[in-house]
Amino acid sequence: MDMSAYRDLFVSESRNHLNAFNELIVQLEETASDQAAINEIFRHAHSLKGMAATMQYDAVTELAHRMEDLLGRVRNNEIVFCPALADLLLEGSDLLSGMVTAIENGDQQQPNAASLIERLVSFTPPPTASGPPPEAVPVDGAPESPAADSPPDKHRFRQSDSFKSVRVKTDTLDRLVNITGELITTRHRLMDRARRYAVPALSEPLHHLAGLLRELRDEVFKARMLPFAVVAERFPRMLRDLARKQDKEITLQVEGREIELDRGILEEITEPLVHILRNAVDHGIESPDDRRAAGKPPVGVVTISVARDKDHVDICVADDGRGMDPARLAQKAVEKKILTAAQAYNISPQAALMLVCAPGFSTATQVSDVSGRGVGMDVVKTAVHVLGGTLTIESQAGHGSRFIMRLPITVSIIHALLVECGHLTLAFPVNTIARTIELRRGDIFEEAGRKVFALDGRHVPLKSLNRLLNQPPPHASSPIVPAVVSEAGGSMVGLVTDRFLGQEEIFVKPLGLPLSRMKKLSGGIITGDGRIVFVVDVSTLV
Amino acid sequence: MSATVVIVDDAVFMRNILRAIIKDKGYNVIAEAASGIEAMKSLHDHDPDIVILDIILPDANGLDLLESILKVRPRTKVVICSSISQEPIIKKALDHGAKAFIQKPFTPEKVLEALEGLEA
Repeated sequence: MDMSAYRDLFVSESRNHLNAFNELIVQLEETASDQAAINEIFRHAHSLKGMAATMQYDAVTELAHRMEDLLGRVRNNEIVFCPALADLLLEGSDLLSGMVTAIENGDQQQPNAASLIERLVSFTPPPTASGPPPEAVPVDGAPESPAADSPPDKHRFRQSDSFKSVRVKTDTLDRLVNITGELITTRHRLMDRARRYAVPALSEPLHHLAGLLRELRDEVFKARMLPFAVVAERFPRMLRDLARKQDKEITLQVEGREIELDRGILEEITEPLVHILRNAVDHGIESPDDRRAAGKPPVGVVTISVARDKDHVDICVADDGRGMDPARLAQKAVEKKILTAAQAYNISPQAALMLVCAPGFSTATQVSDVSGRGVGMDVVKTAVHVLGGTLTIESQAGHGSRFIMRLPITVSIIHALLVECGHLTLAFPVNTIARTIELRRGDIFEEAGRKVFALDGRHVPLKSLNRLLNQPPPHASSPIVPAVVSEAGGSMVGLVTDRFLGQEEIFVKPLGLPLSRMKKLSGGIITGDGRIVFVVDVSTLV
Repeated sequence: MSATVVIVDDAVFMRNILRAIIKDKGYNVIAEAASGIEAMKSLHDHDPDIVILDIILPDANGLDLLESILKVRPRTKVVICSSISQEPIIKKALDHGAKAFIQKPFTPEKVLEALEGLEA
C-alpha cells in the first residue's frame, strides 16, 4: 500500500494533536498536578508517535517518543510538572510542528532535533520548595493504563469523527457559496422577467424556488461554520510566551469559544486578533510591580469574549491594564499632525480612542519586539471593515481597554441598501449604515466652511456621494435630501445621494483586476434586471 | 458473506489506514469508534464479527473494554492493535480473550495476517 496517499491526513491530524497538546500544557501550568490532563497530553504525544511510525517518518517518531517518555515520568509521579518542563515540551511541540510542515511541503531536509532530544532525555526538574506532589496517584503495574474510570472532565474537548461526517475541501465550500449566490441572482432575474412579461403562472413555482433557495443558502452557510475555538486554541500559548518574554504575568480567559462563524471570516480575523492581543500584552497590561503599585492584583487578565447577536458576532478583547487616556491621544495626534488643535479640542472621547487606528499613530514610548513598530491598528481596522464589520474601542485610564469587533456571521451574501447616485446604482452593506435620514434643505447649515446637520445633539458633516464618486449632481433640487449616515470610517458622516431604492439581499462578488485596485468600492453584484451594482466601501470613501 | 469489522482507535488517521488495508481484502468495515463509549455503542448497534481495538483510548483502557465487549458479545473476535510492546500486556490481552495482537507500527501484511488467522 502506498502510504504517501495518507500524507495530507497525517499532516492535518498531527496539527490537531499538536494544537490540543499546546493548549493542555498551558492549562496545566495553571492547574498543576491534574492527572487527567497529564494523561491527555501523554495520549496526544503517543498518538502522534504511532501515526508517524506508521508513515515511517522516523524523525517525528523519535522526538514524539522522547516527549512521551518524559510525560510518562510525570504521569508516574517520578517528576513534577513545572514551568521548565512546560518550556521544554512546548519547544518539542514547536519542533514537531516544523517537521510536520516540512513533510507537508515535501522537504527532504528535516529540522534537527538532536540537541532537544538530548535535553528531553536528561531532563531533571529544578529544585522547588514545594516538594513532591501531595497526592501521588498510584499506577497499577501497567504504565499504559490511563485513568480508565475517572469521570469525564473539561480536558476532553477532542472531536471524534465518525461516519456521520466527511471531510470537504474548503475550495468546494467556496464553490458552493458561489453557485448558491448565482442561483439567488438568477431567481431575481426570473422574477423580474415574470413581472415584466406578466406571466402569473410562474409566480407559484418562483415563490417555491425562493423558499428552497433560502434553505439552500442557510445549509451551505451552516456547512462553512466553524467554532471560534479553532482560532482560540493557539492564543493561550501565544499569550503565555509573550508575557514570559516581558516578565509580565497574564491569564487569558476565552468565553464563547463554541460560537460559530464562517470559516472565511475566522481566517481573516485571526491576524487582527493576534495584533490586538499583542497590544494588550505590550501596552495594556502593566508589569507586576506597577500593578501592585496601582492597587491591582499582580496577574493581569486578558479576556476574549465572543457573543452572537442575531446576524452578527461580537468579538471583544478586554484587558485590565493601564487603559488609554483620550486627552493624551488627542494631544499626540496634534503632535503627529494627524489633527489640528481645533479638531483635537472638539473631538469626542470615543473618536479620540479611534485615533490609535490612524496610520502612523503609536503611543508606545519605545518600540518593543512584541507589538512592533507602531503599525497595525490601522490594519486591524481595515481588515474588520473589509469584512463588513465595525471596530469600537472603549477604554478607561487606569482600568483597561476593550476592543470590540462586530462582524457579520457570513460572507458574500449580505443585506444591502441600494441607492441611486448619478449614473450608478450603489449598494451599502446595512451593517455599515448607522441610519438613513431624509433632510429638508433647512436642516443643513454651514459650520467652519463645511456643510453639517444635527443628529442626536451632534453636528455631523454632510458630504455628496455624487461628488465623491465623480457623478453628476441630481437634476432638480428637490426639497428632500436623502442621506446615508455611517460611522464605518471611524467618525460619523452623512452621505447625500439621489434616491433610496430599497433593501435587498445581494450576493457580492469580489472585483477582478483592474477594478479591484479602485478604492471606495469593494465588490460588485448583478441585480435581478441584469444591471451591475457596485458595493460601497465606506471606510475608504471619505 | 464478508466478515464485518468495527475499528476502535481514537486517531482518525489510524482508522483510515486500517480501513483502507482491510477493505481491499473484502472485509466490511461497518463502523468506527473513537472512544470506549462509541465502541460499546457500535457493538450494540452492529454486532460485528471482528473488533480491532486500540489500548489507549480517551475514556477507557482497551483491556478493560475487551472484557466488557466479551461479556456482552462473547462471540466477537477482538484483535488488539497497539504500540505497547510489553510482553505482560500482550499476554494479559490474549489471556482475557483477545484473538490476536497487531503491533503498531504495522505493515499491511501484518494486519492481514492477524485477521486471516482468525478464520482458521
